[in-house]
Amino acid sequence: MSPSTLLQLRDVGKSFAETVALEPTSLSIEEGSFVAIVGPSGCGKSTLFNVIAGLTAPDSGEVRLGDQVVTGATGHVGYMLQKDLLVPWRTVQDNITMAARLTRRVTNDDRNEARRVAEQYGLGEFLRHYPSALSGGMRQRVAFMRTLVTHQPLLLLDEPFGALDAQTRLEMQQWLLQVWKETGRTVLFITHDVDESIFLSDRILVMSPRPGRVIADLENPLERPRDLDSLTDPKFIELKSRVMHLLHGGAE
Amino acid sequence: MKRSVLRNVGIPLLSLAVLLGIWEAIVVIFNVAPYIMPRPFDAIRAVTDNWSLLWPLVLGTIRETVYGFVCGALLGLCLGVIMAKVSFLQKFLYPLLVLSQAVPIIALAPPLVLILGFGIAPKVFIVIWVVFFPVAVNVFDGLSHVDQDLVNLARVYGASRRRTFLQIEIPASTTPIFSGLKIGATYAVTGAIIGELYASEGSSLALYQEHANSNLNAAAVYGTTMVMTALGISWFLLVVGTEVLVTPWQRRSVARRQLFRRRTDVVESTVHH
Repeated sequence: MSPSTLLQLRDVGKSFAETVALEPTSLSIEEGSFVAIVGPSGCGKSTLFNVIAGLTAPDSGEVRLGDQVVTGATGHVGYMLQKDLLVPWRTVQDNITMAARLTRRVTNDDRNEARRVAEQYGLGEFLRHYPSALSGGMRQRVAFMRTLVTHQPLLLLDEPFGALDAQTRLEMQQWLLQVWKETGRTVLFITHDVDESIFLSDRILVMSPRPGRVIADLENPLERPRDLDSLTDPKFIELKSRVMHLLHGGAE
Repeated sequence: MKRSVLRNVGIPLLSLAVLLGIWEAIVVIFNVAPYIMPRPFDAIRAVTDNWSLLWPLVLGTIRETVYGFVCGALLGLCLGVIMAKVSFLQKFLYPLLVLSQAVPIIALAPPLVLILGFGIAPKVFIVIWVVFFPVAVNVFDGLSHVDQDLVNLARVYGASRRRTFLQIEIPASTTPIFSGLKIGATYAVTGAIIGELYASEGSSLALYQEHANSNLNAAAVYGTTMVMTALGISWFLLVVGTEVLVTPWQRRSVARRQLFRRRTDVVESTVHH
């Protein structure tokens, strides 16, 4: 197995006024992998995401997706935040097809795909509902479907389950793993929840603040498929302990 | 559904009836002379009895209101968009906008007559003057407060500025836009009446009331005021009705039917049958 590199960052750095939000950082993400980025608030993870998405132009360095340089350009990743950002004036189906609507004319293929995806993931009955009628977990699922149908190979998920209650969050994590397995996308997943980062990922990047930088790049040895028992697996506990020490190292 | 209609229509009608009742009671209890304050029924009779005379005048007021409101709303919309999009023009235009509203409307009429004469133009101008401001300010506020994360999401998807504006920013601002239009609607009829009062030489609703007043016909004076009020309320309700029609998501949880479905969809769904 020789997986190819999908995303590559070379010495990407960004400062805002006097603050170094992100020290020059290099990393590569393999195609089809699930990489978690964990760190406290202010460690530059959202800056890193915005640079990759093209919302923020870096001060230095280069972002490469596949064989293209995409530094400072938008329109090449799927992107999802803690806020679901569903538009209240569109139905579930029309929210899922939003990326198409924002770039071209929505076709029947788009609508059919939205319907198919919604049906596949248990929201088929809600296609014509407005988002206000949905629960938080359902809304987040719609937001993820909207990200999925952009057909971008790389999905940037910035604490997508951060606002959900613990029960719903666990369901959503398992659901995400299932969708990831079925669709074969590459996922970059920001969280400050160490358990979440271990449960989901192949690899964990640990970041620290002031200046924001990646302080560790850890392989996740936990076997797949993962279930509730994974959360008490010795490998899980051991990795969690390492990440916790890295995150709180300075304080101990 | 039926109960909600009863509540939404019945209760406002009841409050209107109570208002007329209080009016009637004041006249009867304090024995007010009819040339000072007629009974409500007499005021209504003064309108219905002279309807053939009043109707063309009412139509004139409606025309001034509609022209002025439509032009004022469009002007306000354009100004609001420009101010939200170009920060230099926002700083340049805002003081002028505030200044425009500091001018007493009544003091605006004489120069308008000098410039535009006595036709429909000065009345429409005054309506535009009072309508564009609340629309412009609300459109500007609405567009300035669109969730930036949503705008960023559109950018990540590669949306152009035009599409982001039409698909995200405008629909996200419908509530403040309609607030501006509703305020404008309540001002519009008042503006038209002020225009008629100061810039008419022939016949108009405002002058009709003036004549009734000088003839000591109190019933007609009060009746005309009621007609003007009814015009204002109707225009406001029309705007509210439009808002209800174009923002179904604010009341419904499921979309009823899509108004602008493309024809290809119909073909597709029949194929599936």
